[in-house]
Amino acid sequence: MIIPVRCFTCGKVIGGVYEEFLRRVQMGEKPNEVMDALGIDRYCCRRIFLTHVELVDEIAPYG
Amino acid sequence: MRGLDTSIRVVHMKIEIQEMTHNKGRIVFLDADPSIVNAIRRTMISDVPKMAIEKIEYHLGAIMDEGGKEFESVSPLFDEMIAHRLGLLPVPTDLDVFVFRSKCVCNGEGCPNCTIMYSLNKKGPCTVYSGDLEPLGDAKFKIKDDLVPIVKLNENQAILAYATAELSTGKDHAKYSPVCGVGHRYSAKISIDSAKCDHDARCIAVCPKDVFSKEGKKIVVAHPERCNLCMACVESCELNCVKVQEDPQRIVFRYETDGSLSAKDLLMRSLKILEEKFTGFSEQISALQE
Repeated sequence: MIIPVRCFTCGKVIGGVYEEFLRRVQMGEKPNEVMDALGIDRYCCRRIFLTHVELVDEIAPYG
Repeated sequence: MRGLDTSIRVVHMKIEIQEMTHNKGRIVFLDADPSIVNAIRRTMISDVPKMAIEKIEYHLGAIMDEGGKEFESVSPLFDEMIAHRLGLLPVPTDLDVFVFRSKCVCNGEGCPNCTIMYSLNKKGPCTVYSGDLEPLGDAKFKIKDDLVPIVKLNENQAILAYATAELSTGKDHAKYSPVCGVGHRYSAKISIDSAKCDHDARCIAVCPKDVFSKEGKKIVVAHPERCNLCMACVESCELNCVKVQEDPQRIVFRYETDGSLSAKDLLMRSLKILEEKFTGFSEQISALQE
């Protein structure tokens, strides 16, 4: 739906770096290196970034 | 109390601070019992209070902008979901200023000593970020991370809401827990039997934390503090020359805050709360013995 504010497991606030992560990955950087640079160290937070599907734009017209 | 060992074991522990940045701490406890370190961990998670958004009032119905254009107060997410997302945001907390709302001089009505008010006013099409929450009053209470997306708004959609943050502890709700990723483990004791070693460097290749390095032909333990006791090196070494052991004398304690408190403030406050608890406990015991 929309990127979670916090990691489900550890509670780190991760929503704030997601847009930068997306931008940098779309520019061609490797996702693992971008996550390292953004301080997303633990695998619980990393899986949220890697497996997220942004669907909020498809739901928006029906709001 | 018969049969119970009531003697007090004095622990002379030492503390070595390896890292203390704004929101991250790494401390080594020397000669401490894991139960002591665990007490600090549990206090940090559930007993150190912090501010979080608790109540949100939405404006329902039409919202007009300055030009007289009309917007609907709807969004792709349910209001409850937006409220939940707002609640999870890290609100800057000064524990010397704020008190629990129920114990405040205002009798829980809400005053600058126990609550922070925010307003959120945004008109689509746009993304609403945590930075769009405007504190009513002091600007130092702006949300710590201002780039967290809250909700996306389409054409003709708008949001107008007032949020109230208050103080509570992690026992009440996980959003009031100021810490994340907190844990402790024994430090690693790594040794290489150089007499047996064939210098094949399998352990260097297999180690995910780059603990080992090569000095000439010899393999040395360059960064034992990085080891997370995964034992990949021990399993890779067919000659059994790498030995990894837990060191019960050294406990590594790591924690991160969500930004609402600094790592140092959090540690000091958790120690203070623990001290108060133990003082209360020993007073109760001495009252029993009388």
